[in-house]
Amino acid sequence: MANSNTVSDREHVQATQELSKAVANKIRYLQTLATAIDNKDDRLVYQLIDGDRYSEQIVQAKHGSADTDNENLVSDIAAKLGQYLSANLLAYLAETYPFFYFEQIGLGKFQFYFGNWWDRRLFGELDVIKVQFIFDSTEYEKLRRAFELEGQSKRLNSDKISMLSSQADQLQALIDSQEQRDAEKEKTRLQLKKLAQEKVMPWEASKAKEAKQQLINQLSNLTEQDEKAQDAYRLIKDNEKKVLELSKEDTLIGYEKQSIIAKFGSFDAFEARCESLYRDYIADLIATNGRKNTNE
Amino acid sequence: MSREYEKPTEVFKPHNSADVEPIENATTLSTSGRLISYNDQLKDSLENGYNFTKLLDQLITTTSTEELFEAAQALSTYQLDTAYLTFPQQYSQSDFYLIFINRLLALHDRERVILQSSDRYNELYHEFPGINSAGYFIFKLENTVQGGAYYTEKTTGEALFYLNFEKHVLRFNSRAVTQLLLVEYHEKISQDAIKGFENYLLDIGNFLKEDYGFDVDFTLLDPSNSAVYQLADPNLPNSIIDRLFVEAANGGRMLELGENSSPILKLDSGTVIELFEQHNYEDDSDLGWGIKVYDQQHKIGWFDVLLRYEFLRSWYLENLNTLEIQSDALYFN
Repeated sequence: MANSNTVSDREHVQATQELSKAVANKIRYLQTLATAIDNKDDRLVYQLIDGDRYSEQIVQAKHGSADTDNENLVSDIAAKLGQYLSANLLAYLAETYPFFYFEQIGLGKFQFYFGNWWDRRLFGELDVIKVQFIFDSTEYEKLRRAFELEGQSKRLNSDKISMLSSQADQLQALIDSQEQRDAEKEKTRLQLKKLAQEKVMPWEASKAKEAKQQLINQLSNLTEQDEKAQDAYRLIKDNEKKVLELSKEDTLIGYEKQSIIAKFGSFDAFEARCESLYRDYIADLIATNGRKNTNE
Repeated sequence: MSREYEKPTEVFKPHNSADVEPIENATTLSTSGRLISYNDQLKDSLENGYNFTKLLDQLITTTSTEELFEAAQALSTYQLDTAYLTFPQQYSQSDFYLIFINRLLALHDRERVILQSSDRYNELYHEFPGINSAGYFIFKLENTVQGGAYYTEKTTGEALFYLNFEKHVLRFNSRAVTQLLLVEYHEKISQDAIKGFENYLLDIGNFLKEDYGFDVDFTLLDPSNSAVYQLADPNLPNSIIDRLFVEAANGGRMLELGENSSPILKLDSGTVIELFEQHNYEDDSDLGWGIKVYDQQHKIGWFDVLLRYEFLRSWYLENLNTLEIQSDALYFN
């Protein structure tokens, strides 16, 4: 029993040492982070809070200095970290993406609009910790598609608009041809009347019936068109509204395209820059000595 | 210039006058009393006529703006004829408004409008160089108790402004100004000539304000940066702003968001237009939409940008029901 007690004591000592070491490790981690924050060394902060991403992107190593367990220590203060890190990051983004307008929606949380024009589109959110844009997929897709259509010298909604316009033309024609239809109806009715008054020989009965049916069909066809014409004004109004919406969207996307081309030259270049945003930003932090100037 | 009446001068017959107001109890007067009374009436009438000529002298020749106003105000309501004496050749009261405008501008060395006389219609009228091919202007007296007169384009009947000497009030009519200068004249008259005419209208307002302390509402002509052009329809649907956005883009301009997220449009030489919702914070009520036009020189008003920028003009006219700038409803409806 005494023996096992001794072993147990030894084990206990070891356990104490290990724990103490583990706690010290965590303290060291937190201490390093605290110092980095005090020194406004954002680069180091990024390295400390997501070592995997840092080594993958910056050191280009698969297995880097990731310290996932320690990183978990700060996962519940991610919002506060984001709020702290956003100051320098937003300053950087304002230079790199002058057409994105950021808006704070919570602690360390930001969404952004594309442009400062009327009815600009809400384009996505910013992940401050990961230094990446989370684009609104619908809006982003529209922009991508608009660039794609450029080759055909078309705008995103060109086809829809021309379809709606030709629809409107047809509707207008339907309204304009009312008089002509009225005359035709009158003529058809007279023919029907005449047909009814004519004496029909038994052997001609089926032919007469057929002629009558044809006239009736013609008449109902004309009435149907009348009904459509009745509705045409409303449809044309609806049509105009839709065309306005689509033209507005084309105009918005036109401005977005101009902004991207002015800054990046092409959509591909823009996408590539978004892809390398984390890397570029860390490099910028190194080059500008942590962008401390913007803070002071 | 003079007015010929077909009727000859009326001759007063002392014993045959139903329209003469008895001054004293005439029936009780003796014959000599009647003669004296008649003579007094004539003297008064002559005095009245003489007084008129003095005022007319003053209107035509004075170099003092104060005296000019006095004369115009008096003449615009002057009853020259009396029951005892009528003048066959007369100007109408509205003509004195026209003369006043010319003289006022002349005293400021800004007379550009030409005072003409029409033999055919026996009236005076204003002709403005450059737009005289399209019409001419007269004052139309407001015959209700309100008084005053409307400066009216004769062929279209558009009343550009209302002028009241008694109340010291001048009100421009945004609807008529729009209709006449931006629709009627748009195809016929050069932009420079229309601009010149606008300056003439502004001069009238400014001189009345500066010289006589008139209360002037320029509506859409007001070039001041603090001017708020109030839209007649308090509800401006977004679709109308959308339309401006699209048309501005077609016109090579961008409708941007201003500081308060209200739409702004930057034009040439630092001119900026802002559309904004007005809010009364005291009683927390919405006051509808307004337009502001900024420029460094305080020289450009809503009218000027409509005149100059075709895409704004067509947008404004196409949505006039909603966008029309309010005028004083007391005088225009």
